[in-house]
Amino acid sequence: MDKPSHLSVVIDLSLTQWTLCAQSTNPPGITLQDFLSQLLAFLNAHIACKDENTLAVFGAFPGQSVMLYSSTGEVTTTTAESTDANTYRPFRTLDSTIMSSIAERLDSYDGMTEEAPIGLVGCLTKALCYINRTITTALSSSQGGEGAAASVDPRILVLSVSPDQSSTYIPIMNSIFSAQKLKVTIDVGKIFGAENVFLQQAAHLTGGAYVQVERADALLQYMMMSFLPAPAIRQLISVPTQDRVDFRAACFCHKRIVEVGFVCSVCLSIFCQPVPVCSTCRTKFPMKTLQRLRDARPLAAPPGNAPPRPPVQKNGTTTPARPG
Amino acid sequence: MPPIVCSAQASYKKLPGLLELTDSYLQWTKAGDKAPVVKVPHAEAASLSRSKVGAPQVRLKIGLLSDEAGHNFTFTSPQPVALAERDKFEAELTNIIARNRAGALQTVPAPTKAFQAATPATPAPTTPAHGSALGTPMRPPSSRPSMSRAVSVASDARASGTPVGGDATTDFRLRKKVLLSNPELAQLHRELVMGGHISENEFWEGREHLLLAQAAAENQKRGKPGQLVDPRPTSVDGEVKIVITPQLVHDIFEEFPIVARAYSDNVPAKLSEAEFWSRYFQSRLFNAHRASIRSSAAQHVVKDDPIFDKYLEKDDDELEPRRLREERVDTFIDLGATSVDHEETGNERDITMQAGKQKAVLPLIRKFNEHSTRLLDTALGGPAAKRRRIDDGEPEHYAQLDLEDLHDNQASSGIVLDMQDRQRYFDGRANGAGNGDDGVHVDFREALQQSKASTEGWSSNLAQLRIERKAGDAALVSMTQNVASRLDVKQRKHDIPEGLFRQMTTCQTAANEFLRQFWLAIYPPGNESQALSTATPAQKAAKAAKMIGYLGKTHEKVEALVGAAHREGVDPARVQVAMKPILDAVNKAQDFWRLKNAKAPGAR
Repeated sequence: MDKPSHLSVVIDLSLTQWTLCAQSTNPPGITLQDFLSQLLAFLNAHIACKDENTLAVFGAFPGQSVMLYSSTGEVTTTTAESTDANTYRPFRTLDSTIMSSIAERLDSYDGMTEEAPIGLVGCLTKALCYINRTITTALSSSQGGEGAAASVDPRILVLSVSPDQSSTYIPIMNSIFSAQKLKVTIDVGKIFGAENVFLQQAAHLTGGAYVQVERADALLQYMMMSFLPAPAIRQLISVPTQDRVDFRAACFCHKRIVEVGFVCSVCLSIFCQPVPVCSTCRTKFPMKTLQRLRDARPLAAPPGNAPPRPPVQKNGTTTPARPG
Repeated sequence: MPPIVCSAQASYKKLPGLLELTDSYLQWTKAGDKAPVVKVPHAEAASLSRSKVGAPQVRLKIGLLSDEAGHNFTFTSPQPVALAERDKFEAELTNIIARNRAGALQTVPAPTKAFQAATPATPAPTTPAHGSALGTPMRPPSSRPSMSRAVSVASDARASGTPVGGDATTDFRLRKKVLLSNPELAQLHRELVMGGHISENEFWEGREHLLLAQAAAENQKRGKPGQLVDPRPTSVDGEVKIVITPQLVHDIFEEFPIVARAYSDNVPAKLSEAEFWSRYFQSRLFNAHRASIRSSAAQHVVKDDPIFDKYLEKDDDELEPRRLREERVDTFIDLGATSVDHEETGNERDITMQAGKQKAVLPLIRKFNEHSTRLLDTALGGPAAKRRRIDDGEPEHYAQLDLEDLHDNQASSGIVLDMQDRQRYFDGRANGAGNGDDGVHVDFREALQQSKASTEGWSSNLAQLRIERKAGDAALVSMTQNVASRLDVKQRKHDIPEGLFRQMTTCQTAANEFLRQFWLAIYPPGNESQALSTATPAQKAAKAAKMIGYLGKTHEKVEALVGAAHREGVDPARVQVAMKPILDAVNKAQDFWRLKNAKAPGAR
């Protein structure tokens, strides 16, 4: 670990989900209080690992995304921190800044009744921008030294308790691609809730670790073991991850998840059964191809009684994906 | 008695007799004998020669595959009849030989000097005349067979037995080549086809693209080599040797016309061929023609040679090369045409390459240039052919100026993609497992209150942080297992014994092949050309049934493999896991077959 590493933590603070998590017993849940304590311990550990390590913490609140702490000191709080002789000063600063920021933000929700979806995507993009800025300043300050990414080892850790939001699919994919360009590893810790396909893909595509936390009361153990090592030493210290990623697509006609389907050769839209006209690019497929494909689907119902239309040729064919 | 195509009175080895050509043999019977003395099957006929027109004796000589000398027949009938007969025989035999050549691609044997004979019949010009029964368009041109390939293929064809006809032999040869170049395929072929499970045609049914690729690769001719002809002598035991092949001689003559002139002047008048070459390679002329200026090591062995030194030329290192490029420049871009208008202000005249540090490099560079020019000319068809002057009117002149590179980029408008119901799509993705709503509704305000309470007193919470031992251990163990299993997979050496592994591999590839045949029989054909394949629906159904039968045995085979693994000390679970995918595929095929047959017969 001779390179300083930068860690950006994105905390999912969906209040309803945390309440559910606190109440859940079958996978043992964790209260927000305990979670925050363990998180602070983990952040202190990261700072302690190496003097030059940097940290940025973002909170994904319902409807807004906020930076809670950054080691470059952008976040200032109004409450004065009380000095404590028994605590290492940097730890104290870190902890108190984060907690007071969270408390301040929570105050802003006083009038609301419904919870807006959390600003996870906003946090991701802010984290990426912050990392980019750090790298650029590091590059400009080091006079023609090694490459910028070589001097900082950036990673993002997402701690999530909420399910996927469908409207965030495209922005999350864009963030993943930017992370790939910046060589940022995205780790995901799933503390509560169903499997999160978007974050699985994020971890898989950037080479990070996706950990499904089973014993949430031992969350700190998971965090220390899986998320503390910097990406550079992960070849030596193997971190656990979930290999199985759900790559299946949904068909465009019924929005059902399919494993084997038909693909339009012009626009690559996916269908679960052969269609005469592609619904996205409106290409007409030749009738003969359709007949052939329908015949080739052995277990499907026999084709309907519609008389075949005269074949109108445009440059469209479909290629079936053959089973077995 | 096989039908006789033609017959004639002819003598063989000075004995009179009857020469007959039947459907399958060429035979000669001595007069008065019953059985033929000479009986040559059609496949053996390799070449044909006859005596000159006007010679007193009308002779025909057949060369055989096995025996170059072959048999000589002299037609004994009166002259015009004999000539007619001989012509008839010749026509038929040419036909036969052409067929043989198409199958075996033999080198054309040199005409024997026994007769002042006409050239042996060349297959290429006669085949269009005798076209119908002969080869497919895929047949490679036999006019210029390359030496080494023909030898090996001919031996293969002979080893495989009598070729049936042009089509089948070509196919057979292509298949053999494909199998030779692809050992895995060869092994599969050996097991399945030699083992009698699948017929040869079925094996190749989905793999025509391999055969086509092979035929296309063979059809390509190699062009002229890009390197200058520079034969380097190899020194063997102190003796300097150069192998002179006719190809090399041809190349040298083309590259260095001086040598060709020297050859024609001196051989065979003053020097024999061998002497010519040995002296050439020791002369200064050869040294001047070498492709490297570093061959000064050979300088000291170069002797003066009275004959070859006459052809020495001065080195090509003047300002202008000795052979100027002849190129007609297009009038539109010819700067020289208007140079008189710009004498005071225009450009300097161009002078081609000037010698840099080493003056000796210049002739070499010019030699390379000439060689490249010659290469391009042969490839593109000559400098004169490129420019065709069409002097009819304005549009043509404008067309010459209209270069495509100068056209603007025209962005095409493209097809607008508009997915229906986009929102639902991502909903489908997000709730992939279909869990939907939890059913538990949490009051936001309550949650807010609880969260606020959590953030107060955080420092004391932090100080009292404890993790339950059991929970921590459970977490540690599960994560360690995760890491361990992944590392294990990566590091595990492949320790299944060789024999067992090979059996597993063959079982899998055989099952794959049966599956392929099965689905090929079930599915409608992939594209238009395959739709013309020969199998009728009944045949296809029979083939599918047969394949299902074979596939049924796959389960037993896997069981046997698991048993064998157990005996050999390998963990049988691993073998089962390895063979699981193929078993799944077999099950799927079997289910489909059952479903299909369970429907009322005649529904499909």
